[in-house]
Amino acid sequence: MPTVVLMDASLSMTRPVSQEQCTEELQRKHLAVAGLTMLFEHMANNYKLEFTSLVAFSSLWELLVPFTRDYSTLQEALSNLEDYDKTCLESALHGISNVVQQEWGHACPTQVVLVTDGSLGIGKGSLRHSLQTLKGRPEDKKFPLPFPFPAKLFIMCIANADELQMTDTMHNLEQLLQLNGGDGQIFTMEGQLCLKSVQSMFGRLIDAAYSPFPAVLRCGNLASDVQVFPRPEPVFLDEEIDPMPRHILTDLEIVGFIEIGDISSPPVMSRHLVLPIAVNKEVDDVGPGTTEEPEEETSANQQAGKVPNFCVLLHGSLKVEGMVALVQLGPEWYGMLYSQADSKKKSNLMMSLFEPGPEPLPWLGKVSQLGPISDAAENPYGEDDSKSPFPLQPKIKRSYAQNVTVWIKASGLQTDVQKILRNARKLPEKTQTFYKELNRLRKAALAFGFWELLKGVAELLERECTLLPDTAHPDAAFQLSHAAKQLKLASTGDSQYAAFDQNINPMHTDFSGGGAGM
Amino acid sequence: MQNSHRAEPGMMFSVSHKTAFVVDHCPYMAESSRQQVECDVLTKSRGQGMIPLAPVSKSLWTCAVECSMEYCRILYDVYPLKKLINYIVSDSEFHILNSWRQEDQSTHELMSALAAVGPPNPQEDPECCSVLHGLVAAVESLCKITEYQHEARTTLMDTADRVANRGRIICLTNAKSDTHVRMLEDCVQETILEQNKMAAGSDRLMSIQQCELVLVHIFPQGEDTLVSDRPKKEVSSLLTSEVHSVRAGRHLATKLNILVQQHFDLASTTITNIPMKEEQHANTSANYDVELLHHRDAHLEFFKSGDLHMAGSTSRDSGLKETVTLKWCTPRTNSVELHYCTGAYRISPTDVNSRPSSCLTNFLLNGRSVLLEQPRKSGSKVISHMLSSHGGEIFLHVLNSTRSTLEDPPSISEGCGGRVTDYRITDFGEFMRENRLTPVPESPDTEASGKPPAERAKAQLERYTRYWPMIISQTTIFNMQAVVPLANLIVKESLSEEDLLTCQKTVYNLVDMERKNDPLPISTVGSRGKGPKRDEQYRIMWNELETLVKTHVAGSERHQRVLDCIIACRSKPPEEEERKKRGRKREDKEDKAEKNINKDSEDKSWQESERLKGTLERGKEEQGESEIIKDSPDSPEPLNKKPRLEEIQLPEKAKGPVSLLTMWTNRITVANSRKHQEFAGRISSVNNKAELYQHLKDENGMDLHENGKATR
Repeated sequence: MPTVVLMDASLSMTRPVSQEQCTEELQRKHLAVAGLTMLFEHMANNYKLEFTSLVAFSSLWELLVPFTRDYSTLQEALSNLEDYDKTCLESALHGISNVVQQEWGHACPTQVVLVTDGSLGIGKGSLRHSLQTLKGRPEDKKFPLPFPFPAKLFIMCIANADELQMTDTMHNLEQLLQLNGGDGQIFTMEGQLCLKSVQSMFGRLIDAAYSPFPAVLRCGNLASDVQVFPRPEPVFLDEEIDPMPRHILTDLEIVGFIEIGDISSPPVMSRHLVLPIAVNKEVDDVGPGTTEEPEEETSANQQAGKVPNFCVLLHGSLKVEGMVALVQLGPEWYGMLYSQADSKKKSNLMMSLFEPGPEPLPWLGKVSQLGPISDAAENPYGEDDSKSPFPLQPKIKRSYAQNVTVWIKASGLQTDVQKILRNARKLPEKTQTFYKELNRLRKAALAFGFWELLKGVAELLERECTLLPDTAHPDAAFQLSHAAKQLKLASTGDSQYAAFDQNINPMHTDFSGGGAGM
Repeated sequence: MQNSHRAEPGMMFSVSHKTAFVVDHCPYMAESSRQQVECDVLTKSRGQGMIPLAPVSKSLWTCAVECSMEYCRILYDVYPLKKLINYIVSDSEFHILNSWRQEDQSTHELMSALAAVGPPNPQEDPECCSVLHGLVAAVESLCKITEYQHEARTTLMDTADRVANRGRIICLTNAKSDTHVRMLEDCVQETILEQNKMAAGSDRLMSIQQCELVLVHIFPQGEDTLVSDRPKKEVSSLLTSEVHSVRAGRHLATKLNILVQQHFDLASTTITNIPMKEEQHANTSANYDVELLHHRDAHLEFFKSGDLHMAGSTSRDSGLKETVTLKWCTPRTNSVELHYCTGAYRISPTDVNSRPSSCLTNFLLNGRSVLLEQPRKSGSKVISHMLSSHGGEIFLHVLNSTRSTLEDPPSISEGCGGRVTDYRITDFGEFMRENRLTPVPESPDTEASGKPPAERAKAQLERYTRYWPMIISQTTIFNMQAVVPLANLIVKESLSEEDLLTCQKTVYNLVDMERKNDPLPISTVGSRGKGPKRDEQYRIMWNELETLVKTHVAGSERHQRVLDCIIACRSKPPEEEERKKRGRKREDKEDKAEKNINKDSEDKSWQESERLKGTLERGKEEQGESEIIKDSPDSPEPLNKKPRLEEIQLPEKAKGPVSLLTMWTNRITVANSRKHQEFAGRISSVNNKAELYQHLKDENGMDLHENGKATR
């Protein structure tokens, strides 16, 4: 999830903070910078794959740093931040909406971190004014929230809650959050405004949104400590019946394996990197005989690189075999692990989350009903891997797979009648097809109450009978008049002849012999 | 939250969960639609002055039925589950053609029931016939609980009231006037109030919270309508109503097609540029278009970006219907590619029987996939969708076409364990193949008899991984072809007698290898020089094998017997100490002995094998009948052998002349057994088990550690 830091650079941010112990003058802006520095440092160390951009705003807005993982650039831009005029949030929100859409499209969940002192401007362009004029705006001047992409809005106030509640600022910010669909949080500083309290506030933000997601990936007794990036977000199912958020388990257990061709590009909710991590427990992997001197950090990393890790083994085999591992994420919630190649050289273990539910993919059926092949009487993949139990077939075929009859367009009806006539002229060779097509038409005509058609086709067949050349097989005439007679009987609606599931069978003639009959 | 991928988004029990079709079956519906269909088209070209058949024309009833069937066909294609239809026909009374039950939901089922009803009888007294009977039945039916509502209520228990009951009534009729329409609305409203009262006192019924009445007035071509169109309005807090006044035939079909899209959040995509062979000229190909319907979320990205026009949307017919154009992309995709797909939606072709439609759907049903390209103004190519079938169902997949936030991650080789180069990749691949999943049919007995299949799959993974070294240099046994049969079997939940025999044979085979002094694939990584000596290698191998089998002994008695066999057969290490001391010397001696073998007289062999027979029988008494060893365990290290294991000699002898090698080893065995009365370990053993490596611990600690690590 990319992050946009939206930094208030208005003049009010330069207001000094009353400091008792410190002699040097400290502005709110300095506190904001200190907080963001802490956030950037944290991300550089623990959340380094996050793309972050920095936007400063006052009455105008400016993209200071486009999306990057280079936190030193962000830090540098932050320290060179200049002071500008008044706060105008609406245009800045428009700005970041565009920035995000241009970079990531409309489906990518984004986190917006707004850092402000809570002075949200006065008069036109102020947040209060924007919120008052929400309704009745023309289509092209709509308020930028909610964003067209899923977004979490974190509002970091370089002010304490009392201060914000004295005016209507807090109320306005809450309204802003509501406009975003309630997704996000307002953070305020506790106690006196000082470095300590700003750090504690950003600490809470880090806990809420930027702490790595540690988990254990298990395959039977094989296991690896991993970090899942980005953090999997809680999921809401049917709000009406099941309004509780669902979180993925920190114990990710593999259920079994499926070939890529069988899982067949399934739809997923989100994708996450699964990165093996070294957890400090010297006991296990390194035997007691090889206790080594504490070394520098880099060599500790190297050491971790040399210890066999299940993720690497799993990744390698998934890649070579072209398979995925089905992994359980929670009760009735599953995902898949696979090798994802970023380039020819680089590839990684990736986890995709399916929609929660007992049957996320119709072609696999219920996941709880997937068992080991050893349970089957006969290997469903064949002894030579020549077959597969997947995909599952639906009980009822879809219309396009079952030759349905639709006569909404005249051409549909004409084609069906012509098919019958074409086969009628090739009797007795085409006896089977002739009756198959005839019965298809008969069934549809009965269902649609279209008896007139049955009479019409009967007449056509009778006419064909009279037009038979002298060379025609004698059976043809018998079959044609038999079919015509049966259609006429059906067109009376007499239940004896008009039953839907009944078919007109070829007439047994002395000429038909064994072959042409049914 | 991102939910564009959802197959069935929105509330589960929205108004579209239940749809009641009420089709008027009164005498006036037998009237002709006056739209004529020429079905004798080719006769004209045949000439001969033949009189072509007069065109046929559908009745209002036929038009209503076939258009409602088309509505159902599209619905069932896109939502095979949980969107239910109750089809009711009304004349002098109501006829309910199916129920809310899922198995009643198919067009075949409905067509069969419709055939039984037949067309309206024009002779019936119009006074006793009315669509009202059907409308009342529809309201009653909406109060009936569906299996899905029932399931949700039973799982929620205390919050069962959260399960909503909403529904829609689509009434296809020929109304007299606007006043007549109002009367129908009032009747539905009153019936809802009445039925809700009844439902309040019943467990089987649910009161209706919301009902949408869609009245479609059908009138013949060439007539003026007596009923005016009216958009949706609220009759009461429970009921909304809308009126559509439509000509029978094509217009009605278009109307119902629009309605099914509105009612079920569908959208239309037209696939263009489909190359297709011409029917008449097989060697030429022309490009065709096919229109598909699917859930509108497949267009979510277009809606949000406002790209709809750029994506080639066009308005057609009445201007109400829009379609997004996507271009067929010739470089096809293969099934082994895993696309990043954010949604998959079932499709239904608008014109299911047309040749282009059936060519496309058959192509897909045969297992091929097609990538679709979104035409953009800039001319740049963006692959945005994919059509693919899974088990006879076609899905429109939405592919992610924007920048990924996961780009350029550190390669797995840079992380933990990334610098290890000898992972058992091939072996784990084999492991994955053995642990592939397969659908197990649901049956009442399996549920009763224990774990669901997925839990059994996990249990199998647990068994298979009890001892599974990840790298080649950590294992000996998994690098040995000879161990494979045992290693494959021992992980099984239960062993057959035959399995047990195979395991035992594997062990004997190893004993044989040891006797022959075959080299083992022991890793020399980390050790200096040439690595461990041959006997040490075998010791490591046996230890590892024991470790593997020990993790499974709790499984069954036969698993235990495999372990017993290993313990019985493996070279016994208590003598290790002594042997180590003698080391080379003895090997030299043996070399010499080997040279002398030819000189050894054959006649001795008889005697000796007779003696062995004696010791063997003794052994049998000790061990019981369980371990019958048929293969050759004769070893060049006879001092490690229990004499009782030499049973092998018997069958071999019985077969014919004894081999030179056998005679030689027998001789050595006997000679050695004379030298050593009995081993200290065996003498001091309890139940024939002695603690091993006692001395080694003190003397050669490091060695043990290394070994211990390897077999961890």
